[in-house]
Amino acid sequence: MAGKIYSKPIAFSVVATLVVLAGTIATMAYPMLRQEMHPKVEGLKPLTALELAGRDIYQREGCVNCHTQTVRPLQSEVVRYKGNRAAEPQGRYSLAGEFAYDHPFLWGSKRTGPDLAFEGWLKPSRDWQASHLENPQALVPRSNMPSYAFLKTARLDAAEVAAHLRALRRLGVPYPDDAGVLALAREVEGKTEMDALVAYVLSLGKAVDRGGKGELEIDLASANPHGHDPAFVARGRQVFDAQGCGACHGDEGHGQEGVAPSLVDDVFLGVKGDMPDAAYFAVIKGGSDVKKQLGRPGVPDGGMQAYGGELSDDDIWAVVAWLRNQQGHEAAEHPHEEGAEHR
Amino acid sequence: MNDYRYDHRTVEGFILSSIFWGVVGILVGLLISVQLWAPAANFPPYLTFGRLRAVHTNGLAFGLGVGAIFGLSFWIVMRLCKRPLLFLKLARAQLWLFNVGILAAAVTLAMGYTQSLEYAELEWPLDIAIVVLWVMFAVNVFGTILKRNEEQMYVSLWYVIATVIAVAVLYLVNNLSMPAGLWKSYPAFAGVNSANVQWWYGHNAVGFVFTTPILAMFYYFLPKSTGLPIWSHRLSIVAFWSLVFAYLWTGAHHLVYTPLPDWIQTLAIVFTLFLIAPSWGSVVNGYYTVGQDWGRMRSNYLTKFFILGITFYGLQTVQGPTQALRVVSQLIHYTDWVPGHVHMGTMGWVTMVTAASIYYVIPKIYGTTIYSEKIANIHFWLVLVGQLLFSITMWITGIRQGWMWKATDADGKLVYRNFIDTVTGNYPYWHTRTLAGIIFTVGMLFFVFNVLMTIRKGRALERERQAATQTPAAVTAA
Repeated sequence: MAGKIYSKPIAFSVVATLVVLAGTIATMAYPMLRQEMHPKVEGLKPLTALELAGRDIYQREGCVNCHTQTVRPLQSEVVRYKGNRAAEPQGRYSLAGEFAYDHPFLWGSKRTGPDLAFEGWLKPSRDWQASHLENPQALVPRSNMPSYAFLKTARLDAAEVAAHLRALRRLGVPYPDDAGVLALAREVEGKTEMDALVAYVLSLGKAVDRGGKGELEIDLASANPHGHDPAFVARGRQVFDAQGCGACHGDEGHGQEGVAPSLVDDVFLGVKGDMPDAAYFAVIKGGSDVKKQLGRPGVPDGGMQAYGGELSDDDIWAVVAWLRNQQGHEAAEHPHEEGAEHR
Repeated sequence: MNDYRYDHRTVEGFILSSIFWGVVGILVGLLISVQLWAPAANFPPYLTFGRLRAVHTNGLAFGLGVGAIFGLSFWIVMRLCKRPLLFLKLARAQLWLFNVGILAAAVTLAMGYTQSLEYAELEWPLDIAIVVLWVMFAVNVFGTILKRNEEQMYVSLWYVIATVIAVAVLYLVNNLSMPAGLWKSYPAFAGVNSANVQWWYGHNAVGFVFTTPILAMFYYFLPKSTGLPIWSHRLSIVAFWSLVFAYLWTGAHHLVYTPLPDWIQTLAIVFTLFLIAPSWGSVVNGYYTVGQDWGRMRSNYLTKFFILGITFYGLQTVQGPTQALRVVSQLIHYTDWVPGHVHMGTMGWVTMVTAASIYYVIPKIYGTTIYSEKIANIHFWLVLVGQLLFSITMWITGIRQGWMWKATDADGKLVYRNFIDTVTGNYPYWHTRTLAGIIFTVGMLFFVFNVLMTIRKGRALERERQAATQTPAAVTAA
């Protein structure tokens, strides 16, 4: 009986279609009807016009081929991407509701470079991101990432961005009406593709608070508990290297033009004149946010990340001790160099 | 033997187009393999890894893969239906549209026009062209089958029909999008839902482009080449229905540990494990078919292509389900292990069986024999060695890097905190992969040479035959 189907192509095709549709309906179509496939974290905002232009460039350049955008709920992964700084425990890894406006999702399937889901928290410095895109090897010498310097000279087109905003609105992303969209898109006038891509990358993961809890308690009078013990200084050097501080601040703490300031000169957070050890301690522990508390401007949009979540206070003090030691060397070496020039 | 006219020119056209795009796709693959360890080999904006990877995957999946599938499916359909294609001109138009489409695909992808959905990168105007192509293909396949001169439909026809139906459903749903310009659109689905639809599509693109049409070739060309009948018809039936049923449930195994609801992940993992059974149904059937006379491995040069092909299919379909397990996925997902896995399937299974089928068909078209069995054997060993070196290298470095990502000390701190430290260890393996790719490419060039020389030989023979039939006529006239 059933054997007859192999001589009846129409019946065969109908049965084959139903068989193919079974799994299709169960795992693709039916879930789509469930609310759990359309979650939205509270306070999720659609991308700004500039960020959306950046996402378009992220798509165009195929960034998704090497960078994922999902931090999985695995211990080592949460630690690597600093999800453990999240204000709420569930923010430690990527949440379904963060992607509600992502047409399409850009989670990727290959991590040739690091995951970028929390990049907005991890490397919040515009300068770092732009310099890195322009010449990755200057900041990460052994990196295999191509240079995207050409983005610096390409200008954005507000009309095109407006058309993109309108298309997304039609898909249900809450952008305003046509006039409102035009007003939003005006933001990109005069901006470069580099500005846009950096803005997008810095928006990643920001819908959830992963920056730690509140302000840091700072006591400028507190002193380094171990003083300048040589073993402690050596440990500071070790921590500095292991944390990759040199990637931004230079291997010897001299800073890098346009990326991050020197840690051994007489300027601290953009103002000439030093501050006590405890101020250094606070910036390492709390990141750029601490600048306000210290009352100094620092580099605009400065992107110092907070290390309080992963370094013990002792480790941070050790780094401060090492930095102070370096400053001492610098101060001692200067007259010597000048003397050499005069000769 | 059969005196009805087959449209061999269209079949040959698809095979030659497929070979051409195959060479292009493989060379792009070599370039991007170099870009992984030599960033200076990127030439922004058009020739960067980010843009070219899609050119590589689309060029080979749609250019080499689908091109060969079109041509060889037509051959299979005509032979099993014992009649020419119902619409000859339509098939010829399909051949032209196919080539224009693949060219446009390669150019637009290099220009950065992409939907960012894996294996569905092409922007909406090309999506429409692909739908038209597929309808043309479907009309000829179904039309020819409906008007066939053979009562029973053989196994290969089932697989061709399943391919036509499933790809149509998959492609239409996953490419639904809102155009925002001529070369820009936003997919209709968002977030987790977008991910789920994409991998339902992505995994079944593997299922219905790299599996079912290749099985159609396998079930047809293996018995044809060896002269041995398929061992068990009943096993073919069971394997077919369970394969096309189970495949569609498994897409979410690409999304293990992502924010996709757990139940969808688990369901996918379970069905993925089940999928071993129907896959191995065909493996077992293939082995026992040749098992009727293992001497064919020596006496018939094509047998080893099919047997090694089905062996890699067997390995692939055990490795895949293993990867779906959560405990394995958390280690190897996102690493080079996965490209290693994919390339065993494509370089081992798909190209082995497709190349053997082409070796079978081209001489048949001209009523001659292959130009050189020796070159075919060199081709075989080079692609085998190249593919093994490629895959094994990638598995090792995948485990290596996955382990480095996970390594923590007693305090739960990362041992390799700087991501770049886990990348640099890949470089020696990436060098080896390029070497493996070169070996594979040389093997494929031997194949291309062999096919072209066979065609040349065949065309010379055709001219001789024409001359032979014309000469007596000339004599009569005189």
